[in-house]
Amino acid sequence: MALRDLLRRPVPPGPLADVADAPTFPRDTPLAEVELLALDLETSGLDPRSHELLSFGLVPVRGMEIPLAGARHLRVRPRGDVGDSAVVHGLTDDVLAQAPPLPEVLPEVLHTLVAPGPRRRVLLAHFAQVETTFLRAACRSVYGAGVRLQVVDTLEVERRLLRSEPHELTRGFFRLDACRRRHHLPRYRAHSALTDAVACAELFLAQCARLEERRGRPLLLDDVLRP
Amino acid sequence: MEVELAEVRDFLAAHPPFDSLPGEVLDDLPSRCTLRYARRGSLVLRAGLTNDRLFVVRSGAVDITDGHRLVDRVGSGGSFGMSALIEHAPTRYDVTAREDTLLITIPQEDVDQLISSHPTVAVHFAATHHDRIRTALGQLQQPERGSAVFRTSVRDLLRVPPVMAPPDVTITQAARAMADAGVSSLLVMEDDRLVGILTDRDLRRRVLAAEVPPDRPVREVMTGRPVTVRAGALALEVMLEMTGRNIHHLPVVDEDGSVVGLVTTTDLVRLERSNPVYLVTDLARQTDVDGVVRLAYRIPRIVDQLVSEDASAQDIGRVTAALTDAITVRLMQLAEAELGPPPGSYCWVALGSAAREEQALGGDQDNAIVLADDADPADPWWGRFAERVVSGLEACGRERCPGDVMATNPTWRKTVRDWRVQFARWSHEPEPDAVLWAAIFYDMRAVHGDTALVDGLREEVVALGSRSELLLAYLTGQAARHRPPIGFFRGFVLEDAGEHRDTLDIKRGISAVVQIARVHALRAGSLALSTSERLAAARARGVLSPEATTDLTDAFELLSYLRLRHQAAQARDGLPPDNHIDPARLGSLDRRHLRDAFQIVRTAQHWLSTRLPPVP
Repeated sequence: MALRDLLRRPVPPGPLADVADAPTFPRDTPLAEVELLALDLETSGLDPRSHELLSFGLVPVRGMEIPLAGARHLRVRPRGDVGDSAVVHGLTDDVLAQAPPLPEVLPEVLHTLVAPGPRRRVLLAHFAQVETTFLRAACRSVYGAGVRLQVVDTLEVERRLLRSEPHELTRGFFRLDACRRRHHLPRYRAHSALTDAVACAELFLAQCARLEERRGRPLLLDDVLRP
Repeated sequence: MEVELAEVRDFLAAHPPFDSLPGEVLDDLPSRCTLRYARRGSLVLRAGLTNDRLFVVRSGAVDITDGHRLVDRVGSGGSFGMSALIEHAPTRYDVTAREDTLLITIPQEDVDQLISSHPTVAVHFAATHHDRIRTALGQLQQPERGSAVFRTSVRDLLRVPPVMAPPDVTITQAARAMADAGVSSLLVMEDDRLVGILTDRDLRRRVLAAEVPPDRPVREVMTGRPVTVRAGALALEVMLEMTGRNIHHLPVVDEDGSVVGLVTTTDLVRLERSNPVYLVTDLARQTDVDGVVRLAYRIPRIVDQLVSEDASAQDIGRVTAALTDAITVRLMQLAEAELGPPPGSYCWVALGSAAREEQALGGDQDNAIVLADDADPADPWWGRFAERVVSGLEACGRERCPGDVMATNPTWRKTVRDWRVQFARWSHEPEPDAVLWAAIFYDMRAVHGDTALVDGLREEVVALGSRSELLLAYLTGQAARHRPPIGFFRGFVLEDAGEHRDTLDIKRGISAVVQIARVHALRAGSLALSTSERLAAARARGVLSPEATTDLTDAFELLSYLRLRHQAAQARDGLPPDNHIDPARLGSLDRRHLRDAFQIVRTAQHWLSTRLPPVP
C-alpha cells in the first residue's frame, strides 16, 4: 500500500497540497504519455524511525526518454551523525553539514512530483519500498500528512519479465546492477542517489522495450504499475 | 562544487569531439542531454524524417543503412545524426539498433552552440575528408631523421644560374665565360632552346687532345642534345641517371622543356650517401644471375629504411621501380651476353604496377616485349631471352604472373604492328579477359632497348582507347566493382554486407584508386602512367574536380604508405610480404583516416558509375 493512509488527514496548503491536487494518470494511459519521476534515496539505514534521509536523487521520465535537465541531487542536513553509511555513499558529515535541513529540501522534491498540466507524476524506483516508506515518514514529520502516489517498481517489472523465462535465483539476482546487466546497460562506477536514479530510469526504458516487444503492442501505464 | 551526472560527463569527455572541450563546458553538457533506449532491431531514425538532435551511443551499437546497404556501424562513443543537423535537412539514412542500445542525445541548438564556439567540434563533424587525410599524412610522415636524397627534388639543388652561350661563340669565348664564372660546364642555347652542353671534359678531349683551333664555334665540339632531367625529379633519380650514364652534369628543365638550371655531381655529394645508389652501381658489376639475386634481396631492407625515414609512398615507389629496372636491365645484359646479340630491334616493357612505379614488395611480375616491325617474333632467341630474364626476376623475389602476362608467353611478344591490331581488337570487342589485358597493356613503360618503339605505340593505343566507349564502359565497370570496406568496428574490418573480417586487404582500396585513375586518364587521352599523375591529368582536362583529385591522391598515398609500412615490417621479421593488415595493430588515428580514405574511394566509384555510360 502506498501512501494512501495519509490521505485521511487534511493536507495543509503548500507543496504537499499541490501534489495532492494534481490528478493522477488513469491506468489505461499510454505509457509514452505518462510522466514519471525516478527517485533514489540515500539513508543512514533502512528504518525510517531511527535512520536519517541524507540525499534525494531525482530524474524525470517523459515520453519514454530521460531529460537530464530535470535531474536533481538534493542533500539533506541530518539531525545526528551520518555514521557508517558514509563509507557506502561517500557523503561525509562535513558535506552534509552544509546542506539544508529536510523541511527546506522536501518542498523541492514534492515540487518535482507535479508535472505540467498539472499531473501527479508516477514514482519510479528500484525496490521502491525504501523510497515510499522514507518519503512517507518525511512528509509526516514535516507536514503531518501524506499523499497517495502511483508507483512503478523496476524490481517488480523485472520479476514480471523473468516469470516466463527459466532462471536461477541467486543472491543479488534482482539488484539494480544485476538487472541492468541483463539488459546490456553500461556499468556505473560510482553510486550516488542521482546516479542510481538515472540508472533506475534507464533500466525502466530497457524493461519497457522488452515488455512491449513481448506484448506486441504499445504499453499502458497499467502494464507496469505496481498493483 | 561536485559535478552532477559525472557518469555522462566523463563518458562524453572520453570521446571525440567532446574530448576537446574545456572542463567547464563539459560540466555543463550533461544537463542538456536526454537519454534514450533502443531495443535490438528497433528503428532509431527513419530516412526522410527531420532529426533535431545528435545521438551518441552510450552502450550497444547501431547500423546506419541506405536502403538495404550498410553505410556505417557505430559503437560506444560514436555519434550519428549529425549530417541532418549540419545540413538542416531530413536525415538521409535509416538507423537501426544492432544491439540493445543506450543513447545520449543532444538537441540541435546545443550542438549548434558547440559548433560555433569550439572549432574542434566543427571540424570533427563537418571537416571534409580532405582535411583529415591531410592531417593523417602530416602525422604519419613527420620527419624524424632526414635522408636528403629521398626528399630533395632537383629544383631544391639549384643554386646559381647556369652559364649559357649561343652555339656560334668561339671555343675561347666559351672557355673564358666558364673560367670567369668558376664553373665546369656551359649550356649552349639557341632561341631559348637547349641545343648542347660543353664541359671541362669536352675541352680536354674534343679540343686540346683533338687539336681543334680555339676560334672554331662551340657548336662543333659541344655534346649535342644533352640528356636532361625534370626539375621535379628526386635527387636520387639524378644520382641514378648520372651513375648509369657516367656523366657529371645534367641540365634541369621545367615541365615545358625550358632550362631552369644545371645539376652536377658536386651538388649531389653534398647530399648524404645512400644505399640505393650503391646497389645500382653494384648491380652493374655482377657477372652472373646469382650475384644479381643476392643484391635484389637488399630491396626490402631499403624500403624499410625509406619508410623509417618517412619518405612518401610515391617516392618509395619510384626508388623501388628504379632498383627493379636496374635488376631487369642487368639480367638482360647477362642474357644477351650468353645468347648473343638480339635478332632485331626490341624494347622490354614493364606492365601494371611496375610500369606505374607503384610496386609493392612481393608483387608478381608483368612484362612484355615490343618488337620492331621488321623483327621476326618466331625467332627462338626471344623465348630463350625472355625465359632467362623472367626466371631471373623470379629468383629475385618477383613471382611469375599467375595470368601468364609475361614476355615468356608468345602472346606477349609482338611487333608494334601486331600490338596495334591486338589492342584495337580489345577495344572493339571487349570481353572480361580482354578488358583486363587492355588495362594491363595501358600501363606500359619501356625498361630497356629501343624505347622509341613503345613511345609511338602508347600514343596510338591511348588515342584509340579514349575513343572506345565500349572499352571505357568496361573499365568503368571494373573500377566500380570492388568496393573497399566501410571502416572498422571493435577491432574488425567492417564490410558492406555487415560482416566482420580479421584483416584488411589493403590492396583492394589501392587497386580501386588505380582503376579509377586509369579510366579518367584514358578518357582524358593522357599518356601519364602513375596514379597521381593520371589524377592530375584528369583534373587538368576537367574530368575530375580539384577536390576529388586531391582527395583521391591523398587517399592513394595513405593506403600505399600503410601497405609499404606493413610490408617493410614483415620483411624485417622475415615474413613474406602480403596485403593483409591486422586492424588491431593500427593506431586509432590510422583507422580513422583509413576509414576516410575508404569513403573517398567509395564516393569516387559511385560518381564514376553514375557519370560514365554503362556497359551495353
